[in-house]
Amino acid sequence: MSEIYLTVLLLLTLFVLLGSGVWVAFSLFGVGIFGMALFTDAPVGSVLATTVWGSSNSWALAALPLFIWMGEILFRSRLSQDMFSGLSPWVGKIPGKLLHVNIIGCGIFAAVSGSSAATAATIGKMSIPELSKRGYPESLMIGTLAGSATLGLLIPPSIILIVYGVATEQSIARLFIAGVIPGLLLVALFIGFVVVWALFNKDKLPDVIEQLSFREKIRRTRSLLPVIFLISGVIGSIYLGIASPTDAAAVGVVLALLLSWCTGGLTRESFMEGLMGATKTSCMIAFILAGAAFLTVAMGFTGIPKLLALWIGSLELSPYALLAALTVFFVVLGCFLDGISVVVLTTSVIMPMVEQAGIDPLWFGIYIVIVVEMSQITPPVGFNLFVLQSLTGRNILTVAKAALPFFALLLFALGIIIAVPELVTYLPNNM
Amino acid sequence: DTWDMPTPYPDKTFHTENIIEFAKDVETATNGALTIKVHSAGSLFKHPEIKNAVRSGQVPVGEFFLSLLSNEHEAFGADSLPFLATNYDDAERLWAAQKPVITKLLDKQGLMPLYSVPWPPQGLYTNKEINSVADLKGLKFRAYNATLEKFAQLTGAAPTQVEVPDIPQAYTTGRVEAMITSPSTGANSKAWDFVSHYTHIQAWVPKNIVVINKSAWRKLDEATQAAVLDAAQKAEQRGWAMSKAETDAQIQVMQDNGVTIVNPPSEQLVQDLKAVGAEMLKDWKTAAGSEGEEILSAYGN
Amino acid sequence: MRQILNKLYQASGWAAAFFLLAICITVIAQVLLNLIDRLSTAITGEAIGLTIPSYGDFTGFFLAASSFLALAYTLRDGSHIRVSLLLQNLPQNLRRVIEIWCLVVAATMALFCTYYTGLLVHEAFTYNDLSTGMIAVPIWLPMTPMLVGLGILAIALLDELVTVLRGGEASYEGKGENLLQQDHADLHAE
Ligand code: NA
Ligand code: NA
Repeated sequence: MSEIYLTVLLLLTLFVLLGSGVWVAFSLFGVGIFGMALFTDAPVGSVLATTVWGSSNSWALAALPLFIWMGEILFRSRLSQDMFSGLSPWVGKIPGKLLHVNIIGCGIFAAVSGSSAATAATIGKMSIPELSKRGYPESLMIGTLAGSATLGLLIPPSIILIVYGVATEQSIARLFIAGVIPGLLLVALFIGFVVVWALFNKDKLPDVIEQLSFREKIRRTRSLLPVIFLISGVIGSIYLGIASPTDAAAVGVVLALLLSWCTGGLTRESFMEGLMGATKTSCMIAFILAGAAFLTVAMGFTGIPKLLALWIGSLELSPYALLAALTVFFVVLGCFLDGISVVVLTTSVIMPMVEQAGIDPLWFGIYIVIVVEMSQITPPVGFNLFVLQSLTGRNILTVAKAALPFFALLLFALGIIIAVPELVTYLPNNM
Repeated sequence: DTWDMPTPYPDKTFHTENIIEFAKDVETATNGALTIKVHSAGSLFKHPEIKNAVRSGQVPVGEFFLSLLSNEHEAFGADSLPFLATNYDDAERLWAAQKPVITKLLDKQGLMPLYSVPWPPQGLYTNKEINSVADLKGLKFRAYNATLEKFAQLTGAAPTQVEVPDIPQAYTTGRVEAMITSPSTGANSKAWDFVSHYTHIQAWVPKNIVVINKSAWRKLDEATQAAVLDAAQKAEQRGWAMSKAETDAQIQVMQDNGVTIVNPPSEQLVQDLKAVGAEMLKDWKTAAGSEGEEILSAYGN
Repeated sequence: MRQILNKLYQASGWAAAFFLLAICITVIAQVLLNLIDRLSTAITGEAIGLTIPSYGDFTGFFLAASSFLALAYTLRDGSHIRVSLLLQNLPQNLRRVIEIWCLVVAATMALFCTYYTGLLVHEAFTYNDLSTGMIAVPIWLPMTPMLVGLGILAIALLDELVTVLRGGEASYEGKGENLLQQDHADLHAE
């Protein structure tokens, strides 16, 4: 089967390019160009230009740089520090202490942002300096961020659920509602893991025990008010009907600027630094997204993902075996393509199989999002890994290793929703 | 030969189902000499890129929503003019009148139309009963092009811009209160989650079109060309029939899910809307120039 | 020459930042108009319909402009992601060879992208392609910043290649963000 050789050859190309240190975006472009030039007659250069343009001028994507900018502003203001000193009295008695701020912070921010990269960039920018200053272990700090930032995709709003809903004609409102309980389940799993880890690794965590009077606790908690104001302002603008979830990102930027001005942190320099920082980070992500979009189209031309999916279909598996096979398939593809591309490239082959096996397409949407979440933290192509690499300067394998336990937890969550599908379907069926 | 064919809509949309049939017909008729690989749901090129991708030969054939090109020339948007052609018979006559004109226009870009299939007639989605144009006044109305913006202004509605995936949430939060689209789109997006009333005003009957790159076309031998044309003609006939069946079926689906169906709409509303349509046609005539005249005189209006 | 090039990278970085700011301003203006409409509905029962025509299209165009114009600036700042595992663990000489390989690959691809984007812009210009929204924008216009940005990236990569070939160090060497090692105590003086 020549497709197998082709696939192996393309994977080798990707590994050589990435491994030798070629920038991620260029590596993706390179594999796409190579694949298309070797195995299709289509004009590579024109397809590349068209795809890159088409994937970069999207309105929905505009939320990404805005959220990143919001993170930059908060990072330069007192707000992120205030948030941590306000929360520390409350999480001080829970094993794992401030690490939970990463998880909860990502969970809350996920209710605002539809992408995991924006969630990782915004929360990470605020929490990494604060946590490393307090001596929290690096691996867990990066791991909790990488893992919980994926919640951006599951907790509504969510870009990937919109893509899935449009491609499979499922109600987007129902998909959003369906994501709520699994999202909370994941938050609980992540918190549980950190608690257990902390109980077994007491020596690795900072053991500062602050003895605070009740009054001091209240005083500290008051410093959370600006952050609460910011979050409710952003979410409120959506539910008041004055901003779409994309627009809400701009509301976030303006409120962050306002708060940072009120607390005296906003100067001309800090404004410019924040803006330039956001420009660079979003440029980095946008360029990789463009590379990923081109690789996706190149794969569409070569037809490899469809052939692999067809092959799975030809095995005529039972529903559980099919889900197991699809999980392996998605995880493997998810290592090399970004999650949304996997959905776009394969739904038209996979959905008939899934429906024939009697699997509820609404439930399958949530299943696919969790699988895509896993792909965000698997090397070599994992967007959360890229964001955290850029924030910490650690290499991608170190970041991926830190995220590994959370990959396992996502896999575990998949098992739970397969065993208890009502966790997904209860809310949408009773809406 | 294998042809890659990008289409914008998902597999279950009847347009895509029809195209998959078309691809099979071509393959059978040519004994596999020409196979068409359909890439649905914008998985190869996104909707706004499809026409240009065909033009520059990145793919030999593709499908898109015809009036998407109405900014390029008004003639492309004739089928999306409110209350010019409001049922399938009129739409068929309009397509016959429109086809020679857009064939010429597309030819300038090295494109050739293969066939065109309409969406079901467009209805009105609201959360209250609409009995006259006065009921639309001050409602936030979804406008995604210049024609609809004008339409909103003439009816006294407030034009607002909402992207397709954002529609359900925009209705729930009140960013949009009225939109015009086909029963297919309404049923597929489960409109009962966010609207209470569907008024079957049959405002217009817009079409999708399948176009082919002419230099790719010239590379086919005569027998293959004939097979493609034959399959295209069959696809057009089948598509129109599918569209008609779709209208009733999808209105029924919405009714079964609790949407109040207003069909036929009130006399007053129809009268008011026709007046708006006449007003818009005047503007369109000026903008569409000689091509517009050609279409209208052939249409007999 | 050096100074002209540095100014070019700097200017395109600023232009990119300007477009990011433009996204924010456009969107927030639309949100404010929505708010006015909301208030009008609450008071008079009718919305006015205040909208910035094609604001979704414009935001998308600004995003593309910002993303591409920032490419060279981001490169020189060391903010484009790469897997540096191999590079870090090689002896100096070999490192230079690998660095040259990376730059040759990247520069070739940047030139390739620039060339075909040029063709795309040219095609959009000759056919006078228009955007599909309320306002018909000639599409070559928002495509031009993409072309310019890719072109400057190609120049920047060739510039780095020449520097490394001459035995110098690439400008992005050792740069990039590291929130872990920085001491942020000074940032948050209480
Ligand atoms: Na989200
Ligand atoms: Na991955």
